[in-house]
Amino acid sequence: MTINVSRRVFGAGVLAVGVAGASRGAFAQGTPRRGGTLVATWGGGEPQACYVPAGGGSSPTFSSSKLFERLAKRNMDGSFEGVLAESWKPSADFKSYTVKVRKGVKFHDGKDMTVDDVVYSVSEIWKKYAVASALTDFAGIESPDADTVVFKYNNPTPEFFFASTLCSPVAYIVPKHVYAGSDPVTNPANNAPIATGPWKFKEWVRGSHFEYVKNENYWKKDEPYLDRLIIRYVRDPAGRAAAMEAGDIHIGVFNPVAPPDIKRLTGTGKFVATPKGYEEAVWSTTLECNMRNPIFAKREVRQAIFNAINRDFIAKTVYYGYARPGTSPIYSPNKEFFTADTFKTPFDPKKAAALLDAAGFPKKADGKRFTLNLLSAGWFPENGKVGAYVKQVLEDVGIGINLTVPDRPTSIKRIYTDYDFDLAISNQANPSEPVPSTTQYFTTDGILKGVPFRNASGYSNPDVDKLVDRIKVETDPAKRKALVVDFQKVITQEAPLLPLVELESITLASTKVQNHSNDPNFLAASWGDLWLAS
Amino acid sequence: MAGELVSPTPALRGSARRAAALKLLRRRLIQAVPLMLGVVVINFCLIQMAPGSFLELMTAENQVSDPATVALLRKTYGLDDPVWMQLLKYIWALLHFDFGFSYRQNMPVIQAIWIHLPATILLMVSSIALAVTIGVAAGVVASMKVRTFWDSLVSVAAMFFYAAPSFWLGIMLIVLFSVKLGWLPVGGMMKIGGNGGVLEILHHLILPTLALGLFYAAIYARVMRSSMLEVAQLDFVRTARAKGLSRNQVTIHHVLRNALLPVVTILGVQMGTVLAGSVVIESVFSWPGVGSLLFDSVSSRNYPVVLGIMVLGSLVVIAANIAVDLIYMWLDPRIEIR
Repeated sequence: MTINVSRRVFGAGVLAVGVAGASRGAFAQGTPRRGGTLVATWGGGEPQACYVPAGGGSSPTFSSSKLFERLAKRNMDGSFEGVLAESWKPSADFKSYTVKVRKGVKFHDGKDMTVDDVVYSVSEIWKKYAVASALTDFAGIESPDADTVVFKYNNPTPEFFFASTLCSPVAYIVPKHVYAGSDPVTNPANNAPIATGPWKFKEWVRGSHFEYVKNENYWKKDEPYLDRLIIRYVRDPAGRAAAMEAGDIHIGVFNPVAPPDIKRLTGTGKFVATPKGYEEAVWSTTLECNMRNPIFAKREVRQAIFNAINRDFIAKTVYYGYARPGTSPIYSPNKEFFTADTFKTPFDPKKAAALLDAAGFPKKADGKRFTLNLLSAGWFPENGKVGAYVKQVLEDVGIGINLTVPDRPTSIKRIYTDYDFDLAISNQANPSEPVPSTTQYFTTDGILKGVPFRNASGYSNPDVDKLVDRIKVETDPAKRKALVVDFQKVITQEAPLLPLVELESITLASTKVQNHSNDPNFLAASWGDLWLAS
Repeated sequence: MAGELVSPTPALRGSARRAAALKLLRRRLIQAVPLMLGVVVINFCLIQMAPGSFLELMTAENQVSDPATVALLRKTYGLDDPVWMQLLKYIWALLHFDFGFSYRQNMPVIQAIWIHLPATILLMVSSIALAVTIGVAAGVVASMKVRTFWDSLVSVAAMFFYAAPSFWLGIMLIVLFSVKLGWLPVGGMMKIGGNGGVLEILHHLILPTLALGLFYAAIYARVMRSSMLEVAQLDFVRTARAKGLSRNQVTIHHVLRNALLPVVTILGVQMGTVLAGSVVIESVFSWPGVGSLLFDSVSSRNYPVVLGIMVLGSLVVIAANIAVDLIYMWLDPRIEIR
């Protein structure tokens, strides 16, 4: 998860101008043209390393995903497709998966990619760093022959979960001959990676850009269409807008420029803006209650807090309409698991007051029931604005609020290490598979002091733990979905943490750029199929 | 650190002046030692007081939850030691020119800074050169044409560039010269994929230099104008005119040289603020300098790099002030600096 980016918000009229015709077809016209250099940027800063084995946030994911490849990817229609895996098949008991590894794939240094690389990557990188929390049931990986690896699990593992793990943003296949025997975190190759993807690392001019060149030996013979890919870092959004307008940058992902610039640039007819390409990385702004505070022992208090907040107002005012009210811990673009049939905490200050009265917190002589410390994580500027609004509406129902908006390191420390908050406004980005990315915010095993973006509220409910345990091992898709629906109902009623709003991210691209925004996590896609119209 | 001026004294000439300069240099270098120590101690303590540490951010980014791994990392980075011990170890390392290791860049701190330092030095030098050249020239013109259109023009321009925030000025320059006119690049230090030649870098240097330098040019113009007018009232100027020297000769050879002293003073003091200003300008122009590195390092609590930049920045300021003292002696031989 990346938190050092400046999340842009957009004026209400922007979408109407910018995303008109933003269907997939609008970004892929005619026969691909070969050659050219694409210059890209994103709405955040330069990464700490080109590749961070544990992920390290969206910035290194953006830079590394053009070089490294995964075993599989997810398509816009929800289907899964093999990348470095040709196919995968579960055993009858779903405790193992046999994966056929693609043949004829070479690393950028000319060495063949083999099953040894897959085994090393899974056991040494995935299990220890990249997707450790998704491999808690992982029992090991074997390679019975030169084309096959077998993933083994201690318990039945659903197919959707398994395929989603293969598609995880940083579940890369790394070269064993480069990483074996070293500390992967400090390996110098992280700053000049050798991988299998369509782009080969050429240069990193720190403070400026990455330069990648076409991998002539890429296993997809047609790709990449472009000769060169530049990822350029411009810290200032106004600078990004100017660079795009001057033609120096062709495409910006994850809210690269400010709202007026989106409107202005799309208004020229030379750019398009689209919210597509973020379906597998939906962001939300959340509010969580610190259950260590006895005030939150009664769930009516937690519900009352959400009843006191007008989420629609936040979506329309703070996010200029580029957000929608959150209703469930599973977000509404999630076609597999989302349900609208959850416990509702609509904006109703009178009900909030009544719930607080009934919970034993009547207003005192000073008009306050109790006072809470509200921490708004300062990694997105909008969080502070949401915090100011929440403070106001909670004070309206008699809850005193001390609001602080610390910077990123302080927020991480106070929320996830010190648990120094009563209410925290934070953010999540979750894929479709709810385990563990969503469930770990609510299960007891998600309470890991010092580990960010886990269960900081301290919520622990044996019933929820059991329910999640069943979701983990239920291999029948229909039954599994029913369990996830139950999970959503329980969590929305318990309300230890709920999304206030689901956010909408935007890609801005020159009309010359073709085939963009065609992946549900476009920022982390390989971009081998992008091309530039003449 | 500009010294206390004692004037008048017998003018020092030839070898005597060189000896005085060397004596001054030696004294200043000795004085710099406790100053640097103070800089290191104060910055170290300030950083220790900030909430959150690089280790917490590092474990967060790497999703490290195993207490044993965290304990090992704490030991590896010396965070198990008491703060005073960490400080002593840092000072000892500095004495051996070891600025520590940057976990974030995965390289020694000095190497991380060295990668970015040339860009910042280039930007600072060009900005100061521009500021001094334009500021002094504008101040001289204003003082020679006092209460005329030119004087008013300099005053208004100085007020504008002094009041304009540098980030706004930078963006406006980009909009005008890069987006609208297409004359100059939007940002960066060189063309991507270019040869990195001198002309290419100079082409990219123009806008950031203007954005950073014009603010200081405004200050120098105002100071220079008032200093020129003040010196022009002194007896030796009247004497020079009485000797029959032309107005231009008197202005250039007598008034200008003496009027430069306040500008030189400000120049030395402002070295640190120019470095600070480059943080903003580097951000606006994607200039790959130390300012960007400092910004990232503060955001990520990358203390070894922050401290390293602070120490190097202090060295620059100290060196600049020693240079100022020496320039004083050169400009006005009557001056002896204690």
